[in-house]
Amino acid sequence: MTSPNDDFAVQTLKLSRKFGDLTAVDGIDLNIKKGELFALLGPNGAGKTTTINMLCCLLKPTGGTARIMGYDILKQPYRVKEIIGVSPQETVISERLNSRENLELIGRTHGMEAAELKSRSRELLATMGLEARAKDQVRKFSGGMKRRLNIMMALVHDPQVVFLDEPTLGLDPQARRAIWEYIGRLKKEKTILLTTHYMDEADSLADRIGIIDEGKIVALGTGHELKNSLLDKQTMVVQAQDITPQAIDKMRAKYAEVEATGNTVVISDKQLVFQEIVGLLHDAGVEVRSAYIKEPTLDDVFLRITGKELRE
Amino acid sequence: MRLLALAIRSLKETYRDPLALGFLLGFPLVFMLLFGSIFSSDELPNFAVGVIDEDNTAMSQAFVDQALPMVPVLEISSYDDTDTALKDLKFGELNAYIVIPPGFGQQVSSNWQGAKADILLNMTYDESDLTISEQLISIINEVTRAFARVEVPVTVTAEPIYVETEINYIDFIGPGIIVFGILIIIPTAARTMVSDKEKGMLARLLTTPAHPTDFILGYSVSLILIAAAQILIIMLAAWLFGLNIIGNPFLAFLVFLLTSICCIGIGMVVASVTRTENQAEPLCWLFAMPLAAISGCWFSIEMMPSYLRAVAYAFPFAHTIDAARAILIRGVGLEAVSYDIIFLAGWAVAIFAIGVLLFRRSMRS
Repeated sequence: MTSPNDDFAVQTLKLSRKFGDLTAVDGIDLNIKKGELFALLGPNGAGKTTTINMLCCLLKPTGGTARIMGYDILKQPYRVKEIIGVSPQETVISERLNSRENLELIGRTHGMEAAELKSRSRELLATMGLEARAKDQVRKFSGGMKRRLNIMMALVHDPQVVFLDEPTLGLDPQARRAIWEYIGRLKKEKTILLTTHYMDEADSLADRIGIIDEGKIVALGTGHELKNSLLDKQTMVVQAQDITPQAIDKMRAKYAEVEATGNTVVISDKQLVFQEIVGLLHDAGVEVRSAYIKEPTLDDVFLRITGKELRE
Repeated sequence: MRLLALAIRSLKETYRDPLALGFLLGFPLVFMLLFGSIFSSDELPNFAVGVIDEDNTAMSQAFVDQALPMVPVLEISSYDDTDTALKDLKFGELNAYIVIPPGFGQQVSSNWQGAKADILLNMTYDESDLTISEQLISIINEVTRAFARVEVPVTVTAEPIYVETEINYIDFIGPGIIVFGILIIIPTAARTMVSDKEKGMLARLLTTPAHPTDFILGYSVSLILIAAAQILIIMLAAWLFGLNIIGNPFLAFLVFLLTSICCIGIGMVVASVTRTENQAEPLCWLFAMPLAAISGCWFSIEMMPSYLRAVAYAFPFAHTIDAARAILIRGVGLEAVSYDIIFLAGWAVAIFAIGVLLFRRSMRS
């Protein structure tokens, strides 16, 4: 057991949750530092939302506990609720209220003063580019705007710890980038725990990433560290014409994994030398159009650890 | 503070939702319009008056055949005996009937000859509609004075009887329709609460320091305000449609408001045992519709078998209709309806307690 530590904003201690026979979260131990942006990356059903729900006191753990800024989620839930902000996975906004009223609803349930709340809402609406639509009922908003409002509602009361559950779920690339940019700006100001099943989201935003699968943290580190764990294996992708079976056989004799589909050959081994492969193919009479050493992605990390693709 | 924020939100959501608003107000108004136009005749005030001539002199015949028909608002029909007239009065065919007692002709003749004699007429009318009966008494009085050429008022012995009319008047149907309108608060309350559960708003708000009590009070305050506004509007509409409010409208309002609180409690219970609006809504109607029927919203509860009446009286709405009719039509005071009011208040407290208990439990899961 870890003892309470002042450096940590979020600390989970063997946090577990069962639903009948199903173990959704299986003894997670996480330490998230103050000011850190931590991403919990995993496929749907890995236990991300269940973890968040326990951390924001919506769901009681069936085992273990967690501390948010030193407050125990089981013993001091109302202290925890005072200092957290939560943006749920589904867009939860009141369609018949306008964006300012939605923000004020959360602010007032947090006991904010009217004047403070007013200036804070204005500030947030400006940052998120929703100022002009502040008085429209939000049912008229686009998906991206609703999503932004959904996040703003987690921030209106200036919480110390922010939980963002799949903040860009179902958005088009442009709307996602707008939200990433905003989350990037929040970094350092607040401790943020973000869940996602988009590996590029975790990779580009997070200070550290925890990969979660079947309720367990299976890998933990910075994006760089995680990808570097795959450096014992390199992959090269070659686009070429006139790929002959003979050429493939020649490659198979030399490299551990060779896969050819149409005009593409994918070669993997511990160590690959660019010129060597191109030379070999050239000698076999294959005309190489392009070739590159593929950088490992978090997808590859996930595949390596769990034997599954992150997204099916 | 939190409570207020939550209550204001619910209010805004309701009045900005045309469908919810239309449902709350439009539905009962349409019913009222329907019943009102079916059962109230446009020619009001036209008074159907039966006449029984017991004097049977040339003078009394002249009064019946010539004097009375001169008054345009009177529809005179002759009866041979009081029993038939009374029956027609009870069925609402007549507003009143006059008995011309023996000696009437004599009395009028004396007056014509200059000797002052009292003129007696006997009138029986339905007191459930005071405006009609009062106008009638003065009309009969005047026409008789003109006929007898007397200055002094004619003595019209009035015999008011209370007629529990069949479904013939908006006066009778009015309170039932108002109660039916109030029943709509049940699905409204259930929807307000279940939609927060279904859409995740309740969960979201539960991540803030708001307590479960804040939510329940927030819902209740907003719903009670909505109910109060609804009752006022429906009562006003009923009055405009011709409902004669004889008694104290504030007392009637109190009875209706207590009924609304019972409805909010029922809605809360439904919201606790359902997860989606699609489950809650039909469950509410499944409960409200039969209850509206057996409680006498649309027809008299008296014609129902006793076991159904027993069921009806276990719920608030039959009590509401009884009390409302007594207050609005008969003009009785607090004392006469105190049992109904105590029953309603007790029921409201009990159902609210159950609702709060169940809803708190459903919030935790």
